[in-house]
Amino acid sequence: MAGDWQPDFEQLIDEHQSMVFSIALRMTGDRGLAEEIAQDVFLELDRHLSKIESPLHALLWLRRVAMSRSADALRRRRARGIEQWVEIDETHGAKAEERPSPLADRVERLLATVPESQRVALILRYQEDLTPEEIAATLGAPLATVKSHLQRGLKLLRAKAAIHLKEYVRGA
Amino acid sequence: MEPESLEPVGDFADFERELQAALARRPAPPDLKRKIVGRLWQQAGRSHRRMVWMERLAASLILAAVASGAAFWHHEVEKRRGEEAKQQVFTALRIANHALEQMNAQLAEHNRDAQ
Repeated sequence: MAGDWQPDFEQLIDEHQSMVFSIALRMTGDRGLAEEIAQDVFLELDRHLSKIESPLHALLWLRRVAMSRSADALRRRRARGIEQWVEIDETHGAKAEERPSPLADRVERLLATVPESQRVALILRYQEDLTPEEIAATLGAPLATVKSHLQRGLKLLRAKAAIHLKEYVRGA
Repeated sequence: MEPESLEPVGDFADFERELQAALARRPAPPDLKRKIVGRLWQQAGRSHRRMVWMERLAASLILAAVASGAAFWHHEVEKRRGEEAKQQVFTALRIANHALEQMNAQLAEHNRDAQ
């Protein structure tokens, strides 16, 4: 019963920290900033805990706020003139088991070069495994716009991968 | 096919699947939860200290208001007493003046009779 559900803050951190951190990391491309955003998102969750009605509500709320705070952080960084992925060793500070595979790392770096609106759609589609309808609901955007962002983003990423990830392509 | 073991494969025909594998959620830093809970405690501590200061400030304001009220009330009582005393003195002076005038008139009449 959703009405009987009592949110357990620490349990919500355990369950969703990976999602929130991954969204922030792939949106910003900066591990330190992503960790900071993840902390802020959970602190904000703590302030809104009384309004969270169910585990699904918590998941959707965290996903939406993680996206929103990451976009805010990117805007602030752009305003300060800092480009994404510049002088950032993304794996710096990460333990060996946390480091992505070389391919995943390079795909992430390519993803960071895709326009933000398309990147958001791609992250929600391929990291969070959402349907275009669910992405539209999460972002509060028209379905047609989301589909367009997905198609363009995928096409762009594919074209970039064909150039930059040749070694993974037979015969390249 | 796992992305880690990705050998040179096709021509990205399965690009979406590969992308999905490459974009699997990353584990959060192991100390993320500890940092969040730590910041929460810090905020709670700050909030508690702020509350204590607010209580002290409110108590000081109430004390100041009570003291000012008492001082004002005391001042008003003293003022009223002073006014009353002044009125009593004026009344006494008026009576004395009236008595002196009467006495003066009687003396004048007595002098006239004597002449």
